Amino acid sequence: MLGRMKKAYDVVVVGGGPAGMGAALGARDAGAERILIVDREPEAGGILLQCIHAGFGLHYFKENLTGPEYAQRFLENVIEQDVDVVPGSYAAGVALDSDGIKTVRVMNPAFGMARVTAKAVVLAMGCRERTRGAVRIPGTRPSGVLTAGLAQKFVNMKGYLPGRRIAVLGSGDIGLIMARRLTLEGCRVVGVFELMPYSNGLTRNVVQCLEDFGIPLHLSTTVAYIHGRDRVEKVTVAPVGPDFMPDMRQSRDVVCDTLLISVGLIPENELSQALGIQLDVVTGGPRVSSTLETSMPGVFACGNVLHVHDLVDFVTAEALLAGGFAGEYARGIQRPRDNILLVPGDNVRYCVPHSLSPERAHTIYLRCKVPMKPCIVRVGDLLQKKLKFVVPAEMIMLKIKPDLLERFHGDTLRIDIRPLPGGESSD
Amino acid sequence: MFDVAIVGGGVIGCAIARELSRYRIDVLLLEAHTEVGFGTSKTNSGIIHAGHHSSPDTLKGRLVVRGNALFDTLCRDLNFGFRRIGELVVAKTDEEVGVLHHLKRQGDAKGVPGLEIWERDRLKSEEPNLSRDLTAALYAPSAGVINPYEFCFSLVENATANGVTLKTESPVDHIEQAPSGLVLHLPRGSVKARFVINCAGIFADRVARMVGLDDFSIHPRKGEEYMLDRRLMGIVRHLIFPVPRKHTKGILIIPTYNGTIMVGPTASDTLDRWDLSTTYEGAAAVFGFIKDLCPSITEKDTITEFAGLRAVSNTNDFIIGASKVKGFINVAGIQSPGLTAAPAIAEYVRDILKAEGLHLKEKKDFNPRVEAPPRFATLPAESREALIRRNPLFARVVCRCEMVTEAEIHHAIDHGARTLDGIKFRSRAGMGRCQGGFCTTRCMDILAARTGQPFERITKRGGGSWIVVPREDALPAFSTRRVPSCSEE
Amino acid sequence: MTETVHLTCIGCPVGCPLQLEHEGSEIKEISGNECDRGAKYARQEFLDPRRDLSTTVAVSNALWPRLPVRLTGPIPKDKVLDAARRIHRIRVEAPVTIGQILEADFMGEKGVHLVASRSMPAAGQEDVHHLGETVSPLS
Repeated sequence: MLGRMKKAYDVVVVGGGPAGMGAALGARDAGAERILIVDREPEAGGILLQCIHAGFGLHYFKENLTGPEYAQRFLENVIEQDVDVVPGSYAAGVALDSDGIKTVRVMNPAFGMARVTAKAVVLAMGCRERTRGAVRIPGTRPSGVLTAGLAQKFVNMKGYLPGRRIAVLGSGDIGLIMARRLTLEGCRVVGVFELMPYSNGLTRNVVQCLEDFGIPLHLSTTVAYIHGRDRVEKVTVAPVGPDFMPDMRQSRDVVCDTLLISVGLIPENELSQALGIQLDVVTGGPRVSSTLETSMPGVFACGNVLHVHDLVDFVTAEALLAGGFAGEYARGIQRPRDNILLVPGDNVRYCVPHSLSPERAHTIYLRCKVPMKPCIVRVGDLLQKKLKFVVPAEMIMLKIKPDLLERFHGDTLRIDIRPLPGGESSD
Repeated sequence: MFDVAIVGGGVIGCAIARELSRYRIDVLLLEAHTEVGFGTSKTNSGIIHAGHHSSPDTLKGRLVVRGNALFDTLCRDLNFGFRRIGELVVAKTDEEVGVLHHLKRQGDAKGVPGLEIWERDRLKSEEPNLSRDLTAALYAPSAGVINPYEFCFSLVENATANGVTLKTESPVDHIEQAPSGLVLHLPRGSVKARFVINCAGIFADRVARMVGLDDFSIHPRKGEEYMLDRRLMGIVRHLIFPVPRKHTKGILIIPTYNGTIMVGPTASDTLDRWDLSTTYEGAAAVFGFIKDLCPSITEKDTITEFAGLRAVSNTNDFIIGASKVKGFINVAGIQSPGLTAAPAIAEYVRDILKAEGLHLKEKKDFNPRVEAPPRFATLPAESREALIRRNPLFARVVCRCEMVTEAEIHHAIDHGARTLDGIKFRSRAGMGRCQGGFCTTRCMDILAARTGQPFERITKRGGGSWIVVPREDALPAFSTRRVPSCSEE
Repeated sequence: MTETVHLTCIGCPVGCPLQLEHEGSEIKEISGNECDRGAKYARQEFLDPRRDLSTTVAVSNALWPRLPVRLTGPIPKDKVLDAARRIHRIRVEAPVTIGQILEADFMGEKGVHLVASRSMPAAGQEDVHHLGETVSPLS
């Protein structure tokens, strides 16, 4: 491995999951010669290695692949393309020199602290899970309270079960997938408790992970209290009112030894913050231009570190784009600067990228705040698209052609999602 | 037979053990939990009080100033983190300002250094984020903050390095009085000691009853604390106290040693000696109160919360002294300012032992120093590279949020960590934003490899706090891949 | 006698609540669907509900102790728990290649095979390209 890492690269990618691998391939396609992927796990592949269920690649490969299968396809591609991969390594920092060259500090027991230079850097560190503390559950602090993703790692990678009688807080996809997974492994999943009046996961998962196994889904309910001295013994659940506070008069106790927390993901932004990159407070990830470049010149971002995705296929699409722009940057190709600011409007939680340029086509990714059906998405006066439904759990993608923007002379475009007359929204 | 057996490995027991390790006597420290400090001490606010809050008429009031003064030397020798950030007792009404003056007089009389009354303008310029309604403050520069568990660990490290025997997972079940000493019966065997120091915290009255003593009682008083997000770091620079109430110093704003802001504690009496729960009512009390002190702090900023139990005696003061039972010395009811007074309590107990006939001769080879544990995250680049050259495991990051390296995990285990919390409190792995989501499996791997515990027997903090269960179809001793061992080469 | 089965369509996130009326095994009417996919789904779910299955098996001599596996096609829904139990009895040894058939025509389902969902090289044989030779979970 030592001989493999060079001193100077065109593009260094931080993170070897689907985003990082996509970015490396995008950079290669754009003509970058020397590309390095740094990943902290013993193997590249990212979170996909523990997502052993199928449902990946339906769009990108038109096949129904498991997480590891999707990851291996890309890894083989990356190796074929002569990208250097350094696993078990940590990118400790990125410094910007006066001549625009980035120095990335890479740590690994084999070579200690090494410095590699890069003309462009792509941030692809993925995301982490929100914890118990983020949702504030009073009670005791026994063992047995863990995120669904950590439980997934125990089961699928280490071969251990997080417990035997499981309650799940949060109906996001990871929680639903783990409810099924643990049932298949012989555990008893006593229920999934969701704060909102609707599930945060795909309907497919509610049906195939819960209904198939008779696991009850309790909406508008939260875990109000955790009991147990050393280990979880039970949780108190209660329905919530419109203020989302538990109504303790209607609480009941659920006996269990494990509470999985599946209440959302946040971009892994420790490195982004350390670099002083401008972040979007809503996504938690960097603000980026339409070339997916952050506020630090030559530093790009893609995948879950930029904003939390639901389908890895779209992570790949975004990563190929980011890598392509990073590769161009490394080759000194200048893209015209963006001159149109993109602003989230009604029922739009966020949109990425944060600005546009009339020079080329764009894919805008956005999420709604509340479900609405049917509805209409408007990009200023330039574009409108009718949609049968929107839910926060499903990212919306809009393709904008350059000729649309050429006609636009303003400097701000606002995106709104509004209900169509006769439609409903869960406001 | 031991000269002295200390029952209770909280901060008091650890401080006494370290003090006694200076002398040529055999000392045993017994702790019921899997690691020292895992009882009340771990949940302590970490404040080193200036000493002006407590009346000189109380034992606690007399020991606190001496304790505070000893912290500079202790910190220098034992290398735990300690910073004198100063304290402000803030007042709004004239009546409250009157209390400030009373506290200042009390403090001056006790020798608390540097007390100053600040008027509104000075307060505003030093602490701009506090409420505009505050009119004055009493500034005490000698107040400081530590991580209480770090203090326990370094005290015990030094004590054991100087010959003290430590036995964890050793609760005292019953005590027999024998002619030459006391026999303490533990889960696995028994030990005999000439003197027994009862610093068993919440359970000190139960331990006293084991030798037939019934003259004091302990009742737990729960305190809930709320840790706030890093973005609030620096919102206040000093410890912020309201004017004190009858039974409690009140709800405080505490910049912890690592800089994270903590608010609390509450004070609610409870009958349950194991009740470590946080509650909606507690949170409401804390945040309702705090918003009057500092309007920008809200409940939404909480990242984690916990509770601890103070050991409050029926006299509401420390109970330290020899008892009717020969050789049995009580050190009970050590509530606030117990952490601050701990070094002074240790000296006081040493003197009691002397008075009771224990001959204390100083060890010529007593080494007062403990090396600071390596903290990769806080070091500049050259020091980091030097560490890596010395030990390549400093180049493998285990906890990404706090940037804790594998070498530091091994160091924690070398110095007593047997549980995930033991690793967490020594190395900080698991204390950051993801709360162990990333590093837990790796810490468990390392614990299993180093301590020989099977993966599924590793606990959060001992007892029944297991993390995982094996699959039902698991084969025993199913090995994961190992690097080629020496024998294969 | 007409009976009604209630289903939630999984064709898209709308999740139309469907009603399927049947007499015995004969479908009489499907309603509630806003598009054709719903009707197809209801029919399939009633006549022959099938599910994909992925899980892990024990693997020795590799970097991790579990190998992710999958069935190459869906199997009857009521066979899933039993299938999982059978799969969990299987043990393999690295090296394993992605797509390697561990059991063909699984549980009698013709053309549905149990395969490895990823490659796992043997311990010490990691391809230097994507596994650092000096890196291991236990030092």
